[in-house]
Amino acid sequence: MKSIFRSHRWELSIAIMVVLAGVWATTLSPYYLNGQQLLYSSRNLVFTGIMGLGLTLIILTGEMDLSLPSTLAVCTVLLAKSSAAHLPLGLALALIAAVALALGAFNGFLVAKLRLPALAVTLGTSGAYRGLAFIIGSETGYTGFDGTYKWLGSATVGSAAVPVMLFVFIAAVVVFGVIMHFSTFGRRCFAIGNNPMAVTYSGISVVRTKMGTYMIAALGAALGAWIFIGQYGSARGDNADGVILGVITSVVLGGVDINGGRGTVLGVLLSIIFLETLRNGMGLANISGSIQQLIIGALLVSGVLISNFSGRGIFAIRPRKQAKARPWAS
Amino acid sequence: MKRGIALFIVLVVLAGSAFAAPAKKYRIFMNPKFTGLSYFEICAEGAKEAAKELGVDFVYTGSEQADVQLQVQSLENIVAQRPDAIIVSAIDLNAVAPPLVRARAMGIKVVSYDADTAMNARDFFCNQMSYEGVARAMLDCALADSPQGGEIAFIAASPTSPNHMAHIRIMTELCKTDPKYKVFKPVATQFAGDDEAKSIDVATNLMQAYPNLKVIISSSAVSAPAAARAIEIVGKVGKVFATGVALPSSIRSYLKDGSEKAFFIWDPAKLGYMSVYVAKAALDGTLVNKVGTKVSCGKLGEFTVGKDGEIVYGRPLIFTPENIDQYNF
Repeated sequence: MKSIFRSHRWELSIAIMVVLAGVWATTLSPYYLNGQQLLYSSRNLVFTGIMGLGLTLIILTGEMDLSLPSTLAVCTVLLAKSSAAHLPLGLALALIAAVALALGAFNGFLVAKLRLPALAVTLGTSGAYRGLAFIIGSETGYTGFDGTYKWLGSATVGSAAVPVMLFVFIAAVVVFGVIMHFSTFGRRCFAIGNNPMAVTYSGISVVRTKMGTYMIAALGAALGAWIFIGQYGSARGDNADGVILGVITSVVLGGVDINGGRGTVLGVLLSIIFLETLRNGMGLANISGSIQQLIIGALLVSGVLISNFSGRGIFAIRPRKQAKARPWAS
Repeated sequence: MKRGIALFIVLVVLAGSAFAAPAKKYRIFMNPKFTGLSYFEICAEGAKEAAKELGVDFVYTGSEQADVQLQVQSLENIVAQRPDAIIVSAIDLNAVAPPLVRARAMGIKVVSYDADTAMNARDFFCNQMSYEGVARAMLDCALADSPQGGEIAFIAASPTSPNHMAHIRIMTELCKTDPKYKVFKPVATQFAGDDEAKSIDVATNLMQAYPNLKVIISSSAVSAPAAARAIEIVGKVGKVFATGVALPSSIRSYLKDGSEKAFFIWDPAKLGYMSVYVAKAALDGTLVNKVGTKVSCGKLGEFTVGKDGEIVYGRPLIFTPENIDQYNF
């Protein structure tokens, strides 16, 4: 029993932080500890959480993707166009899935096949895809969505009004968890993050695995887009602009080694919950946006510091032969 | 060591709670488009004054960037705190509707100011001036800049800001129908999202695309001075003029050095002041949504409810080089 706790020190720490954050949020505002409120505001972690799960797969292989929010925006405006054209929901979803896969594949091609630095490439595609979203969607917020489109992001079940999208999120966590920890594909991702050379020499295609992670993450962004339009009821070119920082924070704080090769879906889930608890508590206490940024930034720094002392994360001590000069190239 | 760091984190986070705001009795929250703009800060000053006179608790809170999702989230946070009334200026009239409709269903009074929300999302709208009043005032300023008329272009925040779009629609109509404004020919409308850098870019592009452009008219208090700046940068001072809605402090230098001749605004502090009185009257039940009902707003006097719950403040201030020094906000 003790060994389970020892090998999951990070996850345990985040779990404790979640409880502490909840206690703190309760002291900050009397409105926090209310079932309805908690359920309702937990909606805010869904679309960013799904992007975080997808990003985890990419980071596990030692790469990065800054363009996921832009992919989400392309999908929201495409859904807007589809709704305006009265396309049935299924067709619209197929459309954005196809487009998202294409956008992800493009990223994967540049990073995995051409072996360009992921940070630079996805920074570029985040701008390019954002521009694409503006061209398709313009600054006019489209709000006349057909009811069926909005269902996933706005429906609730039962008298307690549990948002449907929470179930979607839980399902996503389970699916990603299975992929990461119980599938061959996931094992390959971990392996590539630890030692890409060895993986290549053992005959497994690193390129195909990495392409797969980019495409899966982009598909996650498309799902996030569908939830987004139901949640906010509006689609514009600037949707989800600026969320990438929060998404990366949730992954890194979740104990995923930013150089790849280590991490758990449980850690990412707990850190998503932790960050949302903080934001919810601070928001209810009317703490200004800059103070919130300061606190979340300080947390990220502390997270990196702690990981240093526990041998995980960005400063993980690795055997010399695996030290990489350029962390973003394989 | 690790425990020390964990303690440090807890302390950092606890320190943040020092900035939390307390609350009790009639609580009114004011949520601007974003908190960074001095125009909204001044509205809040006026609102705070009214809140003190009326003895209500007042909280001014919002996101720091002009972002639709951030405003929706800050409104949801506000609604979760169960205030008695919410005063809001909306970036996107439809996007902010869901949390506000929920608020009204919970019995919270919603009063919009400066930029209206969808009609089912608010009880009353404190309009600084009737859309036609603003349109006429801006065209009058344009006439002061360029009495012989010419091509004019408009800059608005976004296609989803109902006030700006209404101004443009009415100005375009007036240029066709009203003999006083027939000298003007509207050629373009551009959007700059209340962002200064973007406004300068947009104004520069307009001048390049339309070499005979005479006046750039901006409904946004951010874009009007930015357009004046763009004219300076491009070097077309005296050939192209900028006018529209602007805070006196932001265009004082342009009026003084003669590059611009007239801007206008309403007193934002008084608009904020009025919105709190309207919210309190709505809470007391003395103000009902019927055309012709009067509401008394402290030292501002009385206002009348118009169509669709709109209450017009209606007192413009036109700034010229002669009177600019009288105003210091």
